[in-house]
Amino acid sequence: MNFEDLQKTWQTQAPGATVTINADLLLREVRHNQRHFWSVIFWRDAREVVVCVLLVAFFGWRARRDHDWTLYLLALAALSVGSFMVADRVRQRRKSPLASDSLKGCVESSLAQVNHQIWLLKNIFWWYLLPFVAALGVSLCVSAWRSWQQRFNASFGLGLAAGICALIIWGVYKLNQYAVRKGLEPRRRELEALRAGLGKED
Amino acid sequence: MTAQEQETIFRRWLDEHLGLMLKVVRGCAAAPPDQEDLFQEVLLQVWISIPAFRGEARETTWIYRVAFNTALTWRRGEQRRRVGRETFLKLDVSPQFQPSHADPAPDQEIIQRLYAAIRQLPKVEASLALMHLDGLSYQEMADVLGISENYIGVKLNRLRKQLAEQLKGVTDEL
Repeated sequence: MNFEDLQKTWQTQAPGATVTINADLLLREVRHNQRHFWSVIFWRDAREVVVCVLLVAFFGWRARRDHDWTLYLLALAALSVGSFMVADRVRQRRKSPLASDSLKGCVESSLAQVNHQIWLLKNIFWWYLLPFVAALGVSLCVSAWRSWQQRFNASFGLGLAAGICALIIWGVYKLNQYAVRKGLEPRRRELEALRAGLGKED
Repeated sequence: MTAQEQETIFRRWLDEHLGLMLKVVRGCAAAPPDQEDLFQEVLLQVWISIPAFRGEARETTWIYRVAFNTALTWRRGEQRRRVGRETFLKLDVSPQFQPSHADPAPDQEIIQRLYAAIRQLPKVEASLALMHLDGLSYQEMADVLGISENYIGVKLNRLRKQLAEQLKGVTDEL
């Protein structure tokens, strides 16, 4: 048997006979899935914006009520992190791969997205944690300076708060690095292997 | 494009190109639950892609693109969104045949072995094999994959050797 015979045999398959489709249910399901997909994206973005707005409002309100300018720094940190996240999401959505692109185009844009996600998570300290660390640091230092006059008790409480904050920040950082190692780097390797299969035209 | 137009095109594509989508699914996933998941994902992506279809590419080229992009970026076990929902299809794993010989058994065995061989190939080669077996031209394959026709030729030469190796005993020469 040569390749042409093999092709002929291959084309004798009657694939339509192997599936039973309820077309109306299929359309309903397809529409449902599409709505589900968009609602997941919408609520993920909305959650980030709402959390950011709530944090800004909370720290702003506390700063005003307590006449504590250091809390404005925390509000500013929440605002800058939230704005960065939303701007990044909007920018990345414009670059999303389309299923109708050529395979090479689709693989390259998926790879660019995965690389960007890895970059974001690997640098989470700089764009997410540092603004809060800096604002919290200033806030704690100022409180420590104020409480220095009342001596020991308040200073101990502040030290404890600083320790807990450091632990949370370290946990967030480590969790994100774990997500990179477990989820994103294997995905990147997979996409790079696909690109390599399409790439070398020698 | 209105939802009605989208639905009309979708139904027509389903009638005319179901076989194409199923071949991609069978070539990329072996276990029946995976095939069902992948098939549903391909259908979803085909539906989503319809408003972007301007008729510049042939329908088959377009559907191949969508199906391969979905299949090659699909990951086993990730798409189980439909648990507990009514299922809209029953997918039989084994392909059926319009036999070219009086005895259908040899054809059936060849096809089964071909699917098994295709699933052993790297993903890009597997997509190329499916299109080549379906008789797509070099240009159509180049359009789907986004690589040059020359490179398609180079890859097909290697691919025939790989397939011949895997189908030893079934075929004399590829």
